[in-house]
Amino acid sequence: MYHLALKMLLGDRAKYIMLVGGLTFASLLMTQQSSVFFGLLSWTTSHLRNMRAAIWVVDAKVEQVNEIKPMRDTDVSRVRSVNGVAWAVPLFCSVLQSKLNDGNFKPIMVIGLDSTTLVGRPPTMLSGRLENVRLPNSVIIDELAVQRLSVGRTKPLGIGDTFEINDKEARVVGICHADRHFFGYPYVYTTYDQALQFAPKMRKMLSVVLAEPTPGWSVERSARQIEKETRLKAYTEEEFFWSTIWWYFRNTGIPMSFGTTIILGFIVGVAVAGQTFYSFVLENLRYLGALKAMGASNGLLSRMLMLQALTVGLIGYGLGVGLSVMFGYAVLGKGQPPFMMPYQLPLFTLMVILFICILASLLGIRKIYKLEAAVVFRG
Amino acid sequence: MVKETTEDPSPANAHALAVHVRGVSKTFGTGEARTHALKGVDFDARLGEMLVIVGPSGCGKTTLLSVIAGTLEFDGGEIDVFNTPLHLLKPRDITEFRKRNVGFIFQQFNLIPTLNLVENVSVPLLINGVRRPAAEKKARALLEQFGLGGRENDRPTMLSGGQQQRVAIARALVHEPRMVICDEPTSALDKETGARIMELLRDIARHPDRCVIVVTHDNRVFKYADRMTEMEDGRVQRVHESLNYYDQEGEH
Ligand SMILES: Nc1ncnc2c1ncn2[C@@H]1O[C@H](COP(=O)(O)OP(=O)(O)OP(=O)(O)O)[C@@H](O)[C@H]1O
Ligand SMILES: [Mg+2]
Repeated sequence: MYHLALKMLLGDRAKYIMLVGGLTFASLLMTQQSSVFFGLLSWTTSHLRNMRAAIWVVDAKVEQVNEIKPMRDTDVSRVRSVNGVAWAVPLFCSVLQSKLNDGNFKPIMVIGLDSTTLVGRPPTMLSGRLENVRLPNSVIIDELAVQRLSVGRTKPLGIGDTFEINDKEARVVGICHADRHFFGYPYVYTTYDQALQFAPKMRKMLSVVLAEPTPGWSVERSARQIEKETRLKAYTEEEFFWSTIWWYFRNTGIPMSFGTTIILGFIVGVAVAGQTFYSFVLENLRYLGALKAMGASNGLLSRMLMLQALTVGLIGYGLGVGLSVMFGYAVLGKGQPPFMMPYQLPLFTLMVILFICILASLLGIRKIYKLEAAVVFRG
Repeated sequence: MVKETTEDPSPANAHALAVHVRGVSKTFGTGEARTHALKGVDFDARLGEMLVIVGPSGCGKTTLLSVIAGTLEFDGGEIDVFNTPLHLLKPRDITEFRKRNVGFIFQQFNLIPTLNLVENVSVPLLINGVRRPAAEKKARALLEQFGLGGRENDRPTMLSGGQQQRVAIARALVHEPRMVICDEPTSALDKETGARIMELLRDIARHPDRCVIVVTHDNRVFKYADRMTEMEDGRVQRVHESLNYYDQEGEH
């Protein structure tokens, strides 16, 4: 009987297309919007990927990676002296103004690396040598900086070219790739001492102490030890990631606006699929009644409806997620809008779609149970 | 209740009982809308016969047919079909009973429009758990026998009314039920086609282990009946024995 159930479903072209279309739309909306949402959130943690370190030691009040409060220079040696810390280096990290050739100013994210170890270095060098960053007034800029800072130039900013950071000359010695920052600041890497030259003088200039646990110590244990001994806040990379994401969750309207769209997808799915499937069942009630008269049990008819609902559900889901992935491939190349689809996401969409389908078929099943087989004799 | 029975020693009387209905009542609705559709019906149908139930509109013919077929619960009385007491069975067992023993033919055919003829005819077999290839093979054979060979893959809507009703009859018979139930099988058809359908049903009734019960308004079909039961206002009024025009008049 199940093949006939499928044939009955496919035979009703209009309803079938409506059902698959509605569920495709719902899956697409939910998966794609969630992916953009996760992508956007992942932008908030770009620091963690652009300056990789096992432990991030920051001021005790810091809750997320984009909101760094300066510390004293002496804090580096305090962290170094903690039991369970293999090494610790300073990192400067601040938004400074750069001047464009056309006279405008652009904010850039200046990263100052410990000049001996260069810990926190860019993840991927595209051209130039990393070590040259130790030369006076030298910087390594990311691709976005090339794009942003080349305004007003005859050819794009390249190795050997100079531009101004806070009225001081900076010479490009390398181009790197860096993950995009949430606020769209280009990354500009230099040495810690050089960064202090670029930045306006202040009492406290140290942003972060990057540290590594001694062999045999877990990162967590080492981080807790640092907190205990220095009264600073020490995050492992993973802790900082989640604490940052969670901060944006609590303090911005982003989850709200995406949540609304995702719920909209869900409602559209329920409304279209539920409504269409229910009218499909109503239109077939005569035949379902005939089948019931012929001895088809409620169980058999319910399973037939369930199969029909799940079939359109899975097809719609496949199309919706497929389209989301295609969208993802298209935008990932451009880097805009953000897109990130962890495997839990399509899994979650699948659950929601299955839920919608089961809900829709339950409406029909209720009708089946109430249907008297004798109705088939009535005109 | 007047029961005008022409006592008759014809062999039909010797036939075993297929359906035995005693004092069956059925009401619909409650309060003002309450309708006594059946008011203590006594009724028999025999194996090997075609029994026609007639009566004015609203007298309870369809209701009687529904309770005999096990598609409608009734309030009181007893119904034995092939010695199975329907009044004692649980709903689930009645469904089982119906699945195996009853074939249905409806006024509106009720063929599923999105399925082709073979698939429509194979439905009762599939419901009875027969595998698809065997079910379709049997459905094909039956369609062939009913003059619909070559059209197996057509949709019902591509057929004339008479052809559709023949498909419906094939569907009613494919699982070889012992009882075939027909409610107004000819009223959606023209005279000529209706007559041919009735001939077909009468031939089907010529089977020692089967009984065909037909409800109709259509007095053109009376002549095909072996016996005729007249209903009025929820009761059986009269039973006409041994009509069997067919046997008396021979071929026509
Ligand atoms: N499901 C129902 N709900 C309420 N009343 C019903 C229902 N089915 C039948 N009735 C009533 O029961 C009575 C008998 O109906 P039934 O359909 O058995 O008559 P019938 O002899 O088949 O009529 P017709 O020749 O018009 O088909 C009628 O008064 C009808 O209105
Ligand atoms: Mg009727």
